[in-house]
Amino acid sequence: MTDLAGPRDGADPPAAAARRRRGKRRQGTVVGTILSHALMLSIAAIFMLPFYWMVISAFKANNEIFTATITWFPDPIRWENVPALFNRPDFPFLRQFGNSVFYAGMVTIGTVLSCSIAAYAFACLRWKGRDLVFGLTIATLLIPAIVLFLPTYIVFARVGLVGTYWPLIAPAFLGDAFFIFMLRQFFLGIPRELIDAARLDGASEFRIFWQIVLPQAQTALVVVALFTIVYTWHEFFGPLIYLIDRNDFPLSLGLYAFRTQRAVEWSMTMMGSFFTALPLVVLFLFTRRLFHEGLATSSLK
Amino acid sequence: MNIQRLPLRRRSFLQGSAALFGASALPSRLMAQNGGPITLWTPGGSELMCEIHIDIVNEVVALGGQVTNGDVVCGFGPGQDYTQRLFGAIAAGQVPDVSILWDSPVSLGVQGAFIPLDEYMQQFPGLAVENWPGGLLASCQFQGRTYGLPVVAGVYSMWYNPEMFEERGISSAREDFPKTWDELRRISKEFTRWDGDTLLTGGFVPPRSAPTLPIWAALNGGRIFNADEARYEIDSEQNNEMFNFWVEWMDEEYRGDLNLVDRSANFSSGYVNYDLGTGSGFREGRAAVVHDGSWLMGDYWQEPEPTFLNWDLAAHPVGPSGTATVSGIWPNWAVIPVGARNPEGAAAYLDYLSTVGVVDWYRQIPDVPTNTLVEAEPPTVVVEQRGEDFARDVTEFLQEQAGIVTPMWHSPVEAFAQDQLTLAIQKIFTKTAPIAEALADAQSASQAELERVLRQ
Amino acid sequence: MTVAPGKRRRSSRYETTAAWLFVAPWVVKLVLLTVLPLIATVALGFMTMPVTGMPRWAGLANYEQMMADPAFRRSAQNSLTFALASVPLRLLIALGLALLLHRTRAFSGFYQTIFYLPFLMPAVAASIVFILLLTPGAGPVNVILQTFGLNPPDWLRDPRAALWTLVLISLWPLGVETLVFLSGLQNIPKDVQEAAELDSDRPWHRLVWITIPLITPMILFNLVIGIISSFQIFTQALVIGGPSGQPAESTLMYMVVIYRTAFRYFNLGYAAALSTVLFLGVLVVTLLIFSTARSWVHYEGGDQR
Repeated sequence: MTDLAGPRDGADPPAAAARRRRGKRRQGTVVGTILSHALMLSIAAIFMLPFYWMVISAFKANNEIFTATITWFPDPIRWENVPALFNRPDFPFLRQFGNSVFYAGMVTIGTVLSCSIAAYAFACLRWKGRDLVFGLTIATLLIPAIVLFLPTYIVFARVGLVGTYWPLIAPAFLGDAFFIFMLRQFFLGIPRELIDAARLDGASEFRIFWQIVLPQAQTALVVVALFTIVYTWHEFFGPLIYLIDRNDFPLSLGLYAFRTQRAVEWSMTMMGSFFTALPLVVLFLFTRRLFHEGLATSSLK
Repeated sequence: MNIQRLPLRRRSFLQGSAALFGASALPSRLMAQNGGPITLWTPGGSELMCEIHIDIVNEVVALGGQVTNGDVVCGFGPGQDYTQRLFGAIAAGQVPDVSILWDSPVSLGVQGAFIPLDEYMQQFPGLAVENWPGGLLASCQFQGRTYGLPVVAGVYSMWYNPEMFEERGISSAREDFPKTWDELRRISKEFTRWDGDTLLTGGFVPPRSAPTLPIWAALNGGRIFNADEARYEIDSEQNNEMFNFWVEWMDEEYRGDLNLVDRSANFSSGYVNYDLGTGSGFREGRAAVVHDGSWLMGDYWQEPEPTFLNWDLAAHPVGPSGTATVSGIWPNWAVIPVGARNPEGAAAYLDYLSTVGVVDWYRQIPDVPTNTLVEAEPPTVVVEQRGEDFARDVTEFLQEQAGIVTPMWHSPVEAFAQDQLTLAIQKIFTKTAPIAEALADAQSASQAELERVLRQ
Repeated sequence: MTVAPGKRRRSSRYETTAAWLFVAPWVVKLVLLTVLPLIATVALGFMTMPVTGMPRWAGLANYEQMMADPAFRRSAQNSLTFALASVPLRLLIALGLALLLHRTRAFSGFYQTIFYLPFLMPAVAASIVFILLLTPGAGPVNVILQTFGLNPPDWLRDPRAALWTLVLISLWPLGVETLVFLSGLQNIPKDVQEAAELDSDRPWHRLVWITIPLITPMILFNLVIGIISSFQIFTQALVIGGPSGQPAESTLMYMVVIYRTAFRYFNLGYAAALSTVLFLGVLVVTLLIFSTARSWVHYEGGDQR
């Protein structure tokens, strides 16, 4: 851990002394770079091991997964496991994939819409009670979900909505404290002048929100959408409690149900896990910069 | 993708195509008027299981009478997860008319979730009290009410390997199978072969599963739950003696560590060990005796393919303090949830299912029919693999065993107590707590929970 | 937020009306799905709730049961141990990774992606994969450890090891924390870094006295989120330990106890009481953190909020 800040080009010259030190260190850099990459690569290998194991297990036969000696590469590679996954009557993978897309999609639409309008009110408008409501909003972040879950469950059950997606999706259209907070931080960074100018022109608040603030906050909205997709894709407890029919399950729950029922089929379980994680991985690879940017802006000034 | 769950119909029904199977045994009440549709839920299992249920529903519909239409929803999820879903559905008032339950009907029954079936049992001759083996019916009852019907049962027995017996010069006849735990322990020793820390072949390994514990307790003259007096008896003298016997056995024969056994192969049942990935010792011809249920007959020749084929079944041996052999079950029962729209139709369906439908069921999936009116036909797979005579012989044996089932799964706090027993068993076999203490802890926790539920 | 007064506002009543319209959905949720359920949970903790029918008043019965319930004590202890071990370790490792990423310029995006990927794996899938990885005998983790001459424990079956295995598994998905720290590091102004280099030649010194204080807001954020979520660990515990927290209750987590009480033992009243206690516990811990935060969290610009 030598050069924390890293040498930077074009840094304004605070002192010659700093440069002198940098020069002194230069011989060390090549070795240092190699060493640091070696370190990073070994850490990366540790982090990738579970992925690797998941993938190779998915391409083995069940009786090849637990062996007396370790096999680091499947031999033969059982490609037939891929179509097998999509043709199982007891694991309606494609249907559950569709359920997951639907569930994540609806929750994402709901969350982006509802959170952005609420965040607008918190960031761009002045009103009596704002600080109180905002304070409450932040406070709800500290309430574990289970605490609110039981009465909500009882009510949803008594009105006959257990077994449907309503209890899972409808609340998203009302907002989410964390994303409201995140978007508010973004909105605070939007230049006041734009909003004030529009107000002077007599634009309605909704128009300002829709035509000025939202376009300015596109990145933020995408980030909220991405996070919502990931969280909803992973959501386990809600579907576990609310959904009844296997054909209605999203993948995270379908995978669990498949495993508890067909525990012996390790390779199918791994293939299912692989295809459950894959869409998110692809999504992430294409949007990594946005994820990063979103985190940079949201992490609590 | 509709947000409102549509009624899910797994298949279009082939109306009227159902053969009027056993029309002579037609239950009279089915001919009554005022029909309606029924919905049946099953906790899953294979596609075959679904098809069997759909066929049976269709047969009932084809008969006319109280069931005009049927809808089968299967494959929610196994065991406990299914019960949780049914619980949610009952709280929501969106219930099926009939549900198959692989769990205790009493636990939810005493909470008012299932319709007591006693009236229907008087109304429908097929469901009459005298048609059910006492122990099985008692497993569905609490304080005089019947919450479910044991239409079929997964019946436990001793599965043994006659070839291994013969090799060691032990008689492999069913009637010569060890009659006592002492005897079983003695012959078990004959099979024990270690290679380093790996158990190559073995006899019988002391049982460790909480759901089957009532069988072993009864074999030793004890009990886990006393329904008549609403009292748990987990830490009774007999049960302490039982665990002492097993732990001594483990120490003597299995080096005091059943983990070593589990890592060598699954010596406890006829299946592979899912968590450890170890194969089935029994199917590989390495385990001489295992304890398993009748359902294994249906799965035996499937993956992983067995190298040993000619298994046989025998009655449970009796413990040191026991007097007579008993058998036990994994439930596979039918209930009518509170809120069912057509309970009459559901009862009529159960009447048909118990007396006629189960014949087909058992032939395809070997869950043993229990109603004494049923003339069971042997499971096709066993006939194919082992011949007609053997298949008839084990069917007869299993039905006989179903007649001597000890009451189990009949506690209002079954799941709670089973979790406590699981914990106690783990503590005992890993020796993290003395036997008496582990049992006393499970006893006091289960009893407290029982009293709490009964107070409500 | 300082714009010259006078020309910026129309009537404040208009603005207030508009604002309430904008927050109306959220306020509905706040009231109907947060405040009321919270009150209901607390109330339900003093009742018994049958599967069908109406709740009945039970006084302190549920809390008396809690005092006598070994599973309550055991699971609270397990969850606390888990949180105390997992949260600091996660923060330390994430911070370490962020520091490494920050000074790596080549392939930094590649490494970031790899550290982030585990977060994208659903907990169910991740838990199942870890069961495979940690197989005794020829499981890959054991094989690797044995080549280094280490003697691995029976990760998931030894009651003394299983909880620590859960902690270990929780160290895998660190992507969010790492990226939060990384963005914090990258936001440190250049002049501060240059000045720091001038100030001290010892990197550790700089790290402890300059870099870390500057990212304390991120530490606070990760700490609070980490604690709240670690108290709520559920999926991994359920997949690995089942509802009875096998082996021998060593993986029995508080959330699993709530779940099984409500949906396995059908005892909603007691589950509500357990939830209330969880709420109070989390509340106390976070308040403690926030009350100390003033003394150790350094906010840039000071008066942002």
